[in-house]
Amino acid sequence: MIEIKGLTKRFGDFTAVDHLDLTINTGEFFGLLGPNGAGKTTTISMMSTVLLPSEGQILVDGQVLDRKASAQKRKLSVITQEYSMRQDMTMDEVMEYQGRLYYMPKKVIKEKTAELLEFAGLTEFRKRTVRHLSGGMKRKLMICRALMIEPEILLLDEPTAGMDALSRRQMWNLLRQVNGRNMTIVLTTHYIEEAQALCDRVALINRGKLQKLDSPDALISELGAFAVDETTENGLVTKYFHQRQEAIDYLTAAGSQASFRATTLEDVFVECAGRKLGQS
Amino acid sequence: MGILTVLWEKWVEFRRDFYKITVAAMISPLMYLIIFGMGIQTTSHGEPYLHFLIPGIVAMATMTGSFSAIAQNMSVQRLYEKALDQVMVSPTPLWQFILGQVIGGSLRGLYAGGVILLLTLPIRTDLVFNGLSIFIMFLNGTVFSTIALTLSFLAKSYTDAPRFTAYIITPMSFLCNTFFSTDQMPAGFRQVISMLPLSQASAMIRGIANGEAPEAFGFIVLFAYLAVFGAISVVFIYKKKNL
Repeated sequence: MIEIKGLTKRFGDFTAVDHLDLTINTGEFFGLLGPNGAGKTTTISMMSTVLLPSEGQILVDGQVLDRKASAQKRKLSVITQEYSMRQDMTMDEVMEYQGRLYYMPKKVIKEKTAELLEFAGLTEFRKRTVRHLSGGMKRKLMICRALMIEPEILLLDEPTAGMDALSRRQMWNLLRQVNGRNMTIVLTTHYIEEAQALCDRVALINRGKLQKLDSPDALISELGAFAVDETTENGLVTKYFHQRQEAIDYLTAAGSQASFRATTLEDVFVECAGRKLGQS
Repeated sequence: MGILTVLWEKWVEFRRDFYKITVAAMISPLMYLIIFGMGIQTTSHGEPYLHFLIPGIVAMATMTGSFSAIAQNMSVQRLYEKALDQVMVSPTPLWQFILGQVIGGSLRGLYAGGVILLLTLPIRTDLVFNGLSIFIMFLNGTVFSTIALTLSFLAKSYTDAPRFTAYIITPMSFLCNTFFSTDQMPAGFRQVISMLPLSQASAMIRGIANGEAPEAFGFIVLFAYLAVFGAISVVFIYKKKNL
């Protein structure tokens, strides 16, 4: 279990994360959503100890996570938003470096490397240096590297950014598989449908503060499960309804300039983030 | 164990860039030897100037070899590649990572110094280089590796690494007992320069080369630098809020 208590990060006068409190249960698939600059990556960076908090703390299974906490860090693996790898290493070397950093025996490193690169369809490129890989290949390699150590907690910061639609779906399946093995996953993503498809619960954050926290279904229900998009002089306006009949009645009255659909998590995100941005 | 991991990483880098590293280690020292030692033929204290110059060039090569191996690499890993994140999140104790970097950087310095010794072998100088000389070269490398680590943690951009070289390494190369004795400098300035690590490393290697025992003071200065910058590096990697 991960407990985030009063987590705050300031960069000079700017507060990127503001007294964030979260509890992420073991085996949970947890999403962290928010607009650009909301503090998602900063939160993940603190969870991976690359950044240290200005205030508050993170506990993993009841123990404080800091840079000295080797036992806690052993449970963690992270896929960062950027390609955080030595550009001049080959895929094999990247994987071996990871295995060595986690004290894996050399034989196991070789076996796991072969298995994961095969799974990701990267075997034929294993002698190629990172610098000469495409963006999608680098992303897949980062995932192989993260899974190499069979972590208990996987932190994913925009893991499918830059991937094509097919690769993204493959990634979703992979993440579902590993989550099924009781691996706790914390995901930040710009693809809201990704969070809706994968996450047990999502936290919506904006300007470093927690706005909403619940399951995607509960958040959608709260807003209204039925949506009508209407084209008006002011652009596209969406109305939300808790009852299907209410939505149909509105649609009928609105005429041909309106359409009916199910509410998505993206609607919740836009309502929440858009309103806050509008206020600013 | 973590130290071996870092040394493995350094070995991978060395093996891949062997020719580039070797040529880079040779060019400047070789130019100095050719221009100042052989081109401008002169004497120092009645001896060929080359006898004075070679130990200084060897000390300088260990400094530049160690410093450049760490400063450039760590700055790029931390600020551009973000590859340091992989280490930060891993269970490898960070002090072991630092120690591995220091040893790895020092070995690169030792290699650079060794290349110069090999190049000057055909010149019959009767200079003595023994196990103690090698130890001082290694120690000098550890000092400049820790300085490089400290500066790379302070760097705001990966382009800062060449600036550190311009501000620190180049002045030391010329002032610190490499090309001329610090005894010839004005009082005050002389004392400051003689407290710099390269001045002491050069003096000790030169002393041994001429059959003299190195002064204990030189070791004290080098170990003091190593302790201070080693401690700063460890504090930075554990405590610096935004790495």
